[in-house]
Parts: sequence; C-alpha cells; structure tokens
Amino acid sequence: MRSRNGNHPFPLKLFSLIFFSSLVLNASEFLISYRYVVKNSLLYNETLQISKAMTKCSGNAYDGIILESDGKKDLQRVIANNSERFIEYVHLLGLHVNYKDETINYQNSSTTILTLKTTCFKVDFNDNFAKISPLK
Amino acid sequence: MKYSLMLIALINITSYAENVVPATDVAVAYPTMNSLQTIENILERDVNLRISVVGQGVAPINTASPAQAYALAKRAAVADSYRLIAEKVSGVHVEGDDLIKNMMVQRSTVRTAVQAMIKNANIVETTFKDGLCEVEMEIILSHSNFSR
Repeated sequence: MRSRNGNHPFPLKLFSLIFFSSLVLNASEFLISYRYVVKNSLLYNETLQISKAMTKCSGNAYDGIILESDGKKDLQRVIANNSERFIEYVHLLGLHVNYKDETINYQNSSTTILTLKTTCFKVDFNDNFAKISPLK
Repeated sequence: MKYSLMLIALINITSYAENVVPATDVAVAYPTMNSLQTIENILERDVNLRISVVGQGVAPINTASPAQAYALAKRAAVADSYRLIAEKVSGVHVEGDDLIKNMMVQRSTVRTAVQAMIKNANIVETTFKDGLCEVEMEIILSHSNFSR
C-alpha cells in the first residue's frame, strides 16, 4: 500500500507515527509548579502540582537533584517521600516573591506569596534513584 | 493697523521663544546616564556582595505535633526571609492615603508591595523558640550573576 503522493510507503509512516507517539507518551518529562502563601506570619496554603508533560518540552537540563526512589517510577510518590529535600531544591532554583502589606489605622496585615512558575523537568528513573532536572 | 498687530505678535513670539528652555537643557537637569551608572555600579568585578536577613514565622495554634508546628513556622519564616531579601535588592513600592475630615484623621492607610525573583538564597541558621521560628538567610550577589 502506498501513500497518496506515492513516494513514502504507508507502513513506514504508520510505524514512525506509533514510534514517535510512544516516545512522547513514555517521555519522562514532568511539569511542576509550587506555590505557598503566608498570611500574617502564618503559613496559609501550600501547593505542589506535578503532572506528566503532554507535549515535548524544549531546552537543556541543568542543576539536577537525585532523590531515592526505591525502584518506584511514580514521581509524585518519590517527591512525597523526599518532600523536604525537594522543596529546599525548588527554593534554590528560584522563586517569585510577591508581597503585599496593608496598614489601616495602625492595624497591619500582610500576605507573602512564593511561586515556582510551571517548569518542565526531565526525570530519569534508575534502579534506586530518580534524577530530576529542570529544562531551560 | 494690520501690520502693526502682526509686528506685535511677531515680537511676542520671539520673546516667548527666548524664555522657553530647549529640550536638551531640560534633559541636563536630570541625572545623566553616566551619573546613573556610577550609582548602580555597586557590584564590582571580583567583589561579592553578601545580603543577610532574619525572617520570622509563627506556628499555628492548632497543630498535630510540635514537629508540624516547627515545619509550618519555618515555612513562614523562609517566606519572610525571601521578602526581606527582595526588599533589599529590588526595593519596596509604598503607597499612603490619609482621609481627613473636619480636621481629624478618619482613616490612615499605608500599602507596601514587593515583587522580585530570588534565586540561590541559603539558610544559615534556624532557631525555634516559644512558637516563633527565626531563619537567618543570606544571598551572595556577584558581578557575574548579572553580566550574562
């Protein structure tokens, strides 16, 4: 069976389509965002969002972190088991600081929001370790 | 009559033009690019600038354990430290409103805001006492950070 233009065989096209789509689906690239809100010196809300990238990310990996995975290939679980180390690492990557303070009739209230904007991370799972590196 | 009016108008225009300062002279009144550069050249080559702050955070009243109280207070203290560094590095936007009615202050409002991106800040020391967590944080700024 030949394609419409007659130059490229249809099975080759189909195979390449399946191959590349499987590569995309199995790509260990994850989108991670982190945000926490502190109101009046009290931690109010903290969120860490992790999702698998549905499209291929561009950029080169840099400044990775190696976390113990115990053979698991579930990034959410790996990060949950090493949450303190991962959050310290996220701080080092750089956070956006947004601070607002209001004093009305000498009564003060403040809100600080620290955010890691959604960043694509490349994740390599080895036997017992997972290497997580942001792409830039 | 017409010619005399035109002559007066012409004289007025020329005298006005003498009083108006040319645009180039106005620009001289503001700091020149060179003077701005000398102000901003705080970071010199091979000289690092270290900024150190102490942030404070409070543990919530209803926590499951002292460890949780410590963890939550530390988060708040870290955020405060980041804010203090941001204030020092990029400055604070301050806005104030006072409402005065019948010679009396009805409402006094001061709003401050900080926006920055902080990277590579390090925690030097953490202390936790009586529900208050203090985090000493520092950041080292070097010329190479900004000369990429």
